[in-house]
Amino acid sequence: MKVAYYPGCATHGFARDIDVATKKVAEVLGLELVEVEDWNCCGGGFLDEKDEVAFVSINLRNLSTVERMGMKKMVTPCSVCLHSARKSEVVYKEDKYLRREVDSRLRGTQVSYKGEATAEHLVWVLLRDVGLERLKAQVKKPLKGLRVGAYYGCQMLRPQKYLGFEEPSRPKSMEQLIAVTGATPVTFSQATSCCGFPLLGSNEYMGLKLAYKVLEGAKHAGADLMAHPCSLCHLQLDMTQEKVRYTFKLQWRLPALYIAQLIGLSFGFSPDELQVPKGVTEVLESKGLA
Amino acid sequence: MEAGGKGVLKMVEQREVKVRVKRFDTEKGNWWAEYKLVVDWYTPMTEVLRRIKVEIDPTLSYRAACHMGVCGSCSMKINGKPRLACKTRAIELLNQTGDEEIVVEPMDYFPTVKDLVVDMSDFYSRMFKVKPRLHPAREVMEGKAEHRLKPEDQRTLWKFGQCIWCGLCVSACPAIEDQDFLGPAAQAKGFRFLADPRDTLTEERAKLLIDSAWRCTYCYQCFEVCPRDIEPVEAVKKTRAMSSLYKGRSEVVRVGVRHSEAVAESIASTGKIMEALVYTKGYGASQAVKDMIFLLASGRGKYLLVKETSVKNIEEVKKIVGGAT
Repeated sequence: MKVAYYPGCATHGFARDIDVATKKVAEVLGLELVEVEDWNCCGGGFLDEKDEVAFVSINLRNLSTVERMGMKKMVTPCSVCLHSARKSEVVYKEDKYLRREVDSRLRGTQVSYKGEATAEHLVWVLLRDVGLERLKAQVKKPLKGLRVGAYYGCQMLRPQKYLGFEEPSRPKSMEQLIAVTGATPVTFSQATSCCGFPLLGSNEYMGLKLAYKVLEGAKHAGADLMAHPCSLCHLQLDMTQEKVRYTFKLQWRLPALYIAQLIGLSFGFSPDELQVPKGVTEVLESKGLA
Repeated sequence: MEAGGKGVLKMVEQREVKVRVKRFDTEKGNWWAEYKLVVDWYTPMTEVLRRIKVEIDPTLSYRAACHMGVCGSCSMKINGKPRLACKTRAIELLNQTGDEEIVVEPMDYFPTVKDLVVDMSDFYSRMFKVKPRLHPAREVMEGKAEHRLKPEDQRTLWKFGQCIWCGLCVSACPAIEDQDFLGPAAQAKGFRFLADPRDTLTEERAKLLIDSAWRCTYCYQCFEVCPRDIEPVEAVKKTRAMSSLYKGRSEVVRVGVRHSEAVAESIASTGKIMEALVYTKGYGASQAVKDMIFLLASGRGKYLLVKETSVKNIEEVKKIVGGAT
């Protein structure tokens, strides 16, 4: 199966390890990822506040490129990129006044969106197109004895009007994928709470506190690690976790990794090949899994 | 009831349901009570609760008045999601979960008074803080001038004026524990007057609402749970866009504006978010250097050396995004 691949800025930046793991896992599964030609940023979850017309227009630029490349599905590993693209698809279709302004902004460019291409999350494609059976068939090294917190965050789930893959108050996709790897999924009450990343840009202390609550929730539920579906959650829960620990004087750590990294480990790739965060490798070693 | 032709009610399927209600009173504290009753396709959760109270257990307390999604009094958590009981049908819940049990709890965040009844004082004080009525010009009050509103302004304001004060968005909001954050409902209501050309309290509203807007975390809980499709988070975004109206600028506004401008500038000049540059510009060089410690501790320092390429057709992106910077 061939799909367009939209990595997004973080996945090509500080969350580069997500790009590496996603490509490795896709290759094993026979999922051909064709990078969207000359893609641009999705707006990072912020551009719509300054200029909604620009925000929708640059997202349609990517989707129209996907159509020109002869594909209809644009898969992304990042929940914020997903949210931006799908929000743009919906508001462009529903709001005729906004559509008029977007069309006028795009006049004179090569962008022409027919409404055929749509963005999907890597998690959705793994569950809906690849399927649990084909995933299971590739598991060479089941992650037995590893308890993994199933974290969703916000942008892959809410609002249902834009996303619509699963009911936001009772999601189960992450648990399903974690279970496939042989690990034990740990459901915890902060699984769909915000990781606080978007607040780092204005109200840092609260942003760190939200991250602390998520990490603490998974730790309290007995998780050894946490798996998540988003490049920006990755920055918050991995890179910024050190700052959370410092701010709240925590003695413990709850290493987090991207869901494709967890799947990759069960496919037999080494932690180094998947560039998993170093805290994760330590936990795997302590469990005899690395 | 029989199924029939056009205009005849849908064939009524009846099912037994088990309702678990989280009860509370000041003497006993919390406990779970279970009730069994038969519902059909048309039974809303307010009717489920009414029948429990009338037919099974008169000690159960809950609020409900209009039974048609207008009064906003039957807010509660049903199967883990904040909803209006009157707009939630029992059988639909069973179909969603595939089991025969429905779990009913009081809303989060607000203190419980008894069972499903919560104390909404905090919600009302947030709403009153934003002075939720139009403050027109003196000339209009004296009958010397008319109120005029353009259709396009009305379009912007309309949905944010539809709040029924149910409190569901506040109960779901993770940023609400920040005492300087007004919460989703008050942000939407406040924006409805801040952006209304007929209102005269612009300066006062700007100071209050703009500072608060930068304390929202864009989690979309309010958008998801609002029974009136108000999309409060969109009001927050639109309020942030009006930051230039707030001259004094508190710290959150200063930092937030700088960060958002850095994001928009990076996209307009390269087509992408160049993280290191946005970080340095958004937070200032000294903060960026301090945070380098955490970056290196996480082992992510190696990605600093990765150089992402700009969009090749940058002229096209500039044309599209030009207006944003």
